[in-house]
Amino acid sequence: MKKILLLIIFIAAVLRLWQLGQVPPSPDWDEAALGYNAYSIMQTGRDEYGKLFPVVLRSFDDYKPALYAYLAIPFVKAFGLEVWAVRLPSAIFGILTVLTTYFLTIELFKKFETEKKNLTSHFLASRSGSLLTSFLLAISPWHIQFSRIAFEANVGLAFNVFAIFFFLKGLKKPVWLLLSAFTASLNFYVYQSEKVFTPLIFIALLIIFRKEIFAISKKYLMVSVLIALFVAMPMLNFMLVDKAALSRAQGVSFFSDKTPFLKENVQRLIIDRQNNDILGLILDNRRIVYFKTFLANYLSHFELNWFLKGDLPRHHAPNMGVLYIFELPFLLIGIYAFTFGNFDRKIKALIFFWFLISPIPASFTSGVPHAIRTLNFLPTFQIFTAIGILFAFRKLSDLSLRHLRYLIFSFIFLFFLLNFFYYLNQYFVQLNYFTSQDWQYGYKKAVSKVWEIKNNYQKIVVSNKPYLDQSYMFFLFYSKYPPSLYQKESVLSSGGFRENHKFDKFEFRPIEWENENSGTLLVGMPSDFPQGSKVIETINFLDGTPAISIIEK
Amino acid sequence: MKKLFLAFILLIAFILRFYQLGENPPSLTWDETAWGYNAYSLGIDGRDEFGRFLPLDYLESFGDFKPPFYAYLDIIPVKVFGLNEFAVRFPSALFGVLTVLVTYFLVIKLFDNHRTKQTQTQNYAEKIGLISALILAISPWHIMLSRAAFEANVATFFIVLGIWLFLEAIEKNKWLILLSVVSFALSLYTFNTARVFVPLLLLILAIGFRSLLFEFRKQTFFAFILAVLLLLPAFKFFLTPQASLRFKEVNIFSDIKIVETANKQIQNDNNAFWSKIIHNRRLAYSAEFIKHYFDNLSPSFLFIRGDGNPKFSTQDVGQLYLWELPFFIAGILYLFRKKEGYWWIIPLWLIIGIFPSATARETPHALRIETTLPTFQILTAYGLFFVFRKVSYLRYLIFSFIFLFFIFNILYYLHGYYAHYKREFSQEWQYGYKEAIAYVQSVEKDYEKIVFTEELGRPYIYFLFHTKYDPKKFRSEAVVEREVFGFVHVRNFDKYVFTKDFSSFKKGNNKTLFVNTPSGVAENAEKLKTFYLLNGNPILVAYR
Repeated sequence: MKKILLLIIFIAAVLRLWQLGQVPPSPDWDEAALGYNAYSIMQTGRDEYGKLFPVVLRSFDDYKPALYAYLAIPFVKAFGLEVWAVRLPSAIFGILTVLTTYFLTIELFKKFETEKKNLTSHFLASRSGSLLTSFLLAISPWHIQFSRIAFEANVGLAFNVFAIFFFLKGLKKPVWLLLSAFTASLNFYVYQSEKVFTPLIFIALLIIFRKEIFAISKKYLMVSVLIALFVAMPMLNFMLVDKAALSRAQGVSFFSDKTPFLKENVQRLIIDRQNNDILGLILDNRRIVYFKTFLANYLSHFELNWFLKGDLPRHHAPNMGVLYIFELPFLLIGIYAFTFGNFDRKIKALIFFWFLISPIPASFTSGVPHAIRTLNFLPTFQIFTAIGILFAFRKLSDLSLRHLRYLIFSFIFLFFLLNFFYYLNQYFVQLNYFTSQDWQYGYKKAVSKVWEIKNNYQKIVVSNKPYLDQSYMFFLFYSKYPPSLYQKESVLSSGGFRENHKFDKFEFRPIEWENENSGTLLVGMPSDFPQGSKVIETINFLDGTPAISIIEK
Repeated sequence: MKKLFLAFILLIAFILRFYQLGENPPSLTWDETAWGYNAYSLGIDGRDEFGRFLPLDYLESFGDFKPPFYAYLDIIPVKVFGLNEFAVRFPSALFGVLTVLVTYFLVIKLFDNHRTKQTQTQNYAEKIGLISALILAISPWHIMLSRAAFEANVATFFIVLGIWLFLEAIEKNKWLILLSVVSFALSLYTFNTARVFVPLLLLILAIGFRSLLFEFRKQTFFAFILAVLLLLPAFKFFLTPQASLRFKEVNIFSDIKIVETANKQIQNDNNAFWSKIIHNRRLAYSAEFIKHYFDNLSPSFLFIRGDGNPKFSTQDVGQLYLWELPFFIAGILYLFRKKEGYWWIIPLWLIIGIFPSATARETPHALRIETTLPTFQILTAYGLFFVFRKVSYLRYLIFSFIFLFFIFNILYYLHGYYAHYKREFSQEWQYGYKEAIAYVQSVEKDYEKIVFTEELGRPYIYFLFHTKYDPKKFRSEAVVEREVFGFVHVRNFDKYVFTKDFSSFKKGNNKTLFVNTPSGVAENAEKLKTFYLLNGNPILVAYR
């Protein structure tokens, strides 16, 4: 059993660590920002804006919770400001999630294992459900996708899995509750979604296991609550005091995106008022529109096309979804078997709650469905699928025709192999080719070229129009620009999300060809420049289309 | 008591389908108009608009080769009520009400039958039947499609009827299987999608009841002969290129991009042999098919917004009500759990009902998957029934809460439909033609020629319809053009000329009346009258 677990962990590690710096082909701006802020805090104790030991990084005015940057510091210290070093914490927590999921699901499958009648195959021996779940998570495209980029959500998921596991342990041995409280409250510093998800899942846990909780000595409960409050205090303080904390929430929530869907509504209200239609004034109320939008957003996460399409290009391998299509029938069977199967009712409640509250944080935002904001879905999909596989195989072993049985087994196995192999190819080979633009590829070469010839120019202008948004951060990241220097230079010139930036000889702003002085080095999109300008170098995306031009005027 | 309930449900179905049938939707689409005029024409001399005598295989219409049965059904309503909106939509609305009735009988047969020997189901099969019928009666999906001349809606009736008769034949009178065959055959003559769906459905029924069909081999044999005879008139047409024309135009398998991507991926793998397997274009097309299939099950389509085409949905509620969602899911789970009666027909029906639509680019598509109705409603009813039997404590609280939401949801839909729908989507219903044509008719004696824009699509049929033009006269006068792809354009008849190109006509002699879209009106033109959509935007302008 242990050997199989080790093998699964090994597979998880290979899939998360191999070519970590090369696939995806380039850090996106969030990764670059986390990396550079880690570097900055490591050297000066301050983030790019000069804030001392921040709990929240202002970054591109999205106010990222800062813990990831701190987690990255040891790796950046050890290996330098490299892409893979910045991504390493996410990958490591991904591997740990696979391991913890194994232990978590042991609780879950206890009853399922005890009723093993008619089992003929050794494969279905004890603990197979847990092994299967963690294996499915190890090869999950969804989990691999976000374990291989420096992104907070994956660490947030890991902390949730830890916290829930420690909680279940704590019901038997209360000491674990302290650890559970600690990891759960620490999660406030990891990722925005967790500020909603973690409290909700803990409320669910407290309700479901209220009897067990009452049986625990009050001493442990008090200490757990104190730990949670103590750890979460700085963040709560920040959220209540600092207006900036809300700005990100406002920036992405659908409430702020008023124009399109309320316009129609205003029109309706005018008509209702003209017709003295009281029913209409109630039904066309703005709040109902909000409520409907929330529900629509929520339900959008139960779209079957998670299996084949996914959402944004950066959230999945090209031509793939975030779940394997071979999993679909087993997922459905699993939900059925779990609903009616002989599982602990409390465990049933927990898993269904988990599954159903995962999309809530994302449902307040526009831009749904969203694979990162709902990363907490994991590993519930894998749990259902594993149960489905076990259930289906149990039914199949009852089949009297032996040859047919083997035929079905081998067909399923072949289909799995095809699906898995396809995914590996799509991720490790095709992703770089097809989506390098989405990954903001090209800066590495551009920065090194610019740095090489930098001394020949008085001024260097870099475009920050899409797709070169936040280009300043990539220049800081790849040039390893001294943070102490940048903090001084940027005080006056560097602002928020849409602002222009400035440091050293660099200006980051839209290029206006007519108005640029001659003798300036310009870095921008090929479309920024007229034909026949003096090209020093053009950097291509990995599919061969031109990405960044370096031009002298 | 049960009969009273059923009558009440049918009354609701009737009101929701017939109230303001001629006024809302606000005007006729060109397909509806074509149904009406063809019925009118068939009613006069037994020929369709272009003069084919009693066509059984197709109506050429706009070159879309419509299955003809709806036009025949519409002959009597047009005779009785005259050539107007109400008469055109009458068959669809009527068969909508009848579908509600047949659904009741079908559900009883599905869950209460002596062959599966489940006596306990007798007690509640009727209740589930009533709930299913009620849910179908108030279903936004079914109401929207019953309130316009959609031939799909009639086909759905014949499919439900066919399945019910089939089960009756299995249970009671073996000879009813012949009626079942007639009903299925009629659906094939009514709606294109049924031509894919019905054979698949029959295959499944045949496999499911193979031993019984073998037992009744005499009846089965006659049913088979009858089916062949009934399909004979149309069979030759099914094999012609025209029959598959529409399909080719909209299907996903002609999308060249998929092959290009596959080739590129193989190239990225240095043309390795395994890469040719995993990036095989057949696999890529299969994936594409499944994607389109899943689109039809998307939560937004089913429960929030409905079909993106406002003709099939008010855009306010989904194809199903949101309150149905938990019961729909519960219904699926219970159905598989309990395995009562011929339960297996429902999921298989639902699954194959989506097949035809998944081959098309435009998904989800409420009309093309209407053949899946009323499986959604039956599943919801099944779930609803067992959830309420199961819930023991807080029963009344939960019940009243859900009931409130249920009432709210229905009010929300109906209010949106009657208070806002007409105004917001009159353009989708080709509003403006009727008004413009009435104006043209009132002044046409002052003009030698009337030039009418083709920009909004197929104006000729509206002229025929709203002027009740004599079909014989039309056939002798009309100048008809047929495109390579089969599309039919009527260029002119009588004084009327239909064109997109206004530049070739001389202006200024005041003997020609022009009607064009506002953007196409010449600058120096003398505007006589502007026609507005119900939301106040101009759609057509008459000028000299």
